[in-house]
Amino acid sequence: MNYDTFRTLILCIELLLPTVLSAQKLDSLRTNQLTVRCVQYGIGHSNILDTYLSTQEYKGIDFRTSRETMRMTNIGKGNVSVQNFLQADFSFGKNRVDNNNTLAGMVNWNYGLHYQFKLSDNFKLLAGGLGDTNLGFIYNLRNSNNPASLRAYINLDASAMAIWHFHIKKKAFVLRYQLNTPILGVMFSPEMGESYYEIFSLGHYSGTIKLTSLHNQPSLRQFLSLDIPIGQQQIRLTYLGDLQQSHVNNIKTHYYSNVFMVGFVKRLYKLSNKELQKLPTSIQAY
Amino acid sequence: MKKRFLYIILLIALILVCGSCVSEKQYSDTPEGNFEQLWKIMDQKYCFFDYKKIDWDSVHNVYSKYITSDMDDNALFEVLGNMLGTLKDGHVNLYSTGNTARYWSWYENYPENFDENIKDRYLGTDYHMAGGIKYKILSDNIGYIYYGDFSESVSNGIINDMLSYLAICNGIIIDVRNNGGGLMTNSSTLASHFTDKKVLTSYVRHKTGTGHNDFSKPYAIYLDPSDGIRWQKKVIVLTNRHCFSATNDFVNNMHCLPSVTILGDKTGGGGGMPFTSELPNGWAVRYSASPYYDKDMNQIEFGIDPDIYVSLSTEDVSQGKDTLIETARNLLNK
Repeated sequence: MNYDTFRTLILCIELLLPTVLSAQKLDSLRTNQLTVRCVQYGIGHSNILDTYLSTQEYKGIDFRTSRETMRMTNIGKGNVSVQNFLQADFSFGKNRVDNNNTLAGMVNWNYGLHYQFKLSDNFKLLAGGLGDTNLGFIYNLRNSNNPASLRAYINLDASAMAIWHFHIKKKAFVLRYQLNTPILGVMFSPEMGESYYEIFSLGHYSGTIKLTSLHNQPSLRQFLSLDIPIGQQQIRLTYLGDLQQSHVNNIKTHYYSNVFMVGFVKRLYKLSNKELQKLPTSIQAY
Repeated sequence: MKKRFLYIILLIALILVCGSCVSEKQYSDTPEGNFEQLWKIMDQKYCFFDYKKIDWDSVHNVYSKYITSDMDDNALFEVLGNMLGTLKDGHVNLYSTGNTARYWSWYENYPENFDENIKDRYLGTDYHMAGGIKYKILSDNIGYIYYGDFSESVSNGIINDMLSYLAICNGIIIDVRNNGGGLMTNSSTLASHFTDKKVLTSYVRHKTGTGHNDFSKPYAIYLDPSDGIRWQKKVIVLTNRHCFSATNDFVNNMHCLPSVTILGDKTGGGGGMPFTSELPNGWAVRYSASPYYDKDMNQIEFGIDPDIYVSLSTEDVSQGKDTLIETARNLLNK
């Protein structure tokens, strides 16, 4: 393993801090090396409409997984945090008379920065922007030449967050609410009566990439999460409201998901090589 | 700092207030709701109203009188099917669990000019068969190809093998009679083996809005020559009224090639790419969404005329002969 790769080894702070850093003062921690990571799994309800495929809404179940990391940066005198959020979901919906089904899947990646306004030791508000990339599909099991709809769009989101640390019986809880909404972006969409055969086989791409903003893509994602300490672990319970909408090329779409998710929160500390060299090799896994 | 944050919060709140739900009116699952939904789907998405000179508002007035809240599904299906019948379009269908409303007059009202049993006699039992195509070399050294369904895929490899086998022939007959269509990719794949240069074959437009005349500009469609074997000898394509949709497109492609002659009856048409939607009661509706034109921007919705009109004669049928195949053989052997 080369020197640079070795520097990037991430060790769990919960394991190493007691042995390595216990003697250090808290303010000597480089906060930009401390990452909060949470992998979650969830299930919920989805409501899907895509008038390219059908005039009818399809409602059903939504399975979702997500991975989120947050850490402070050196930007803005150390008041800016970076958030990396990746989620994937799969929905299975049926029409109102239950004689046809729709499958849908989306992968969504958000990456961006928040300025942190620390209103008190326990409460802070965050505001910033995110890059919001989405790729997915909606597939109608019955249609002929318009069986599926490709969903592909990239946005610049405005994002706001509130984080409250509080204690109940000396146990530390964290309540967080976050709201992201796209301000400006680009979206792929066929024109109203244009087949994917015409786009991809005949190469008629004109008019399929559209600028989006609040007027034609009023969407939002909101998260309400509670971190609960259980023994040595911290569990995160999240309600995710993922409300994606668009009205582009005279095609109306919405993909509403209300999902409850659960996962474990990990706090990871990235050690520099100098710090790593202080570690006896005998306690290192590699 | 706090003031700036307040502004951001206010901005987001404003966005939420201004941001409206993107939704489509969900009609009730009643006879009235299903009727209105079907009429609206066609009104906004069907592509041949002006070409066919159909007053769709008038159709609404006529057929809405037959809709009552207590009518059963069979009666509703009949009224909706009849309303769609005014479009005279083989690509327009209404599907319930018990029936399919259709307009098939584009071939039912015309002579068939095709006899399956006689065709099978030409093929015999020792014909080659690959990917939905049947072919053999007839006794006068004419290759005979029958392709009865463009839904059955055909690859360049299959066509290369077929044309290699038929290479010794003086000419070939491609019989697409009674082929009701399928995939347009199969149509262009097969046609691409009969040209050695890129050829303009057609144009397509598609709906861009809900108005009856909201269309994109015409986009040219070219037939690119295959990378495989390109047949350079004479070809005759046999057609009848049952050649529809992707088969209509194949005939249109072949019509643009100088070594190809179209022989038989006018095709059935079907020049609109069909899309699907649905009603509140779950019935599916298929409709023409984007019109295709020939290379001179003429509509092909109602069919393509052959270069040589030939009908199946009863005398030939009685002798077990196919007039179209025999005429084609004579022409290719001249």
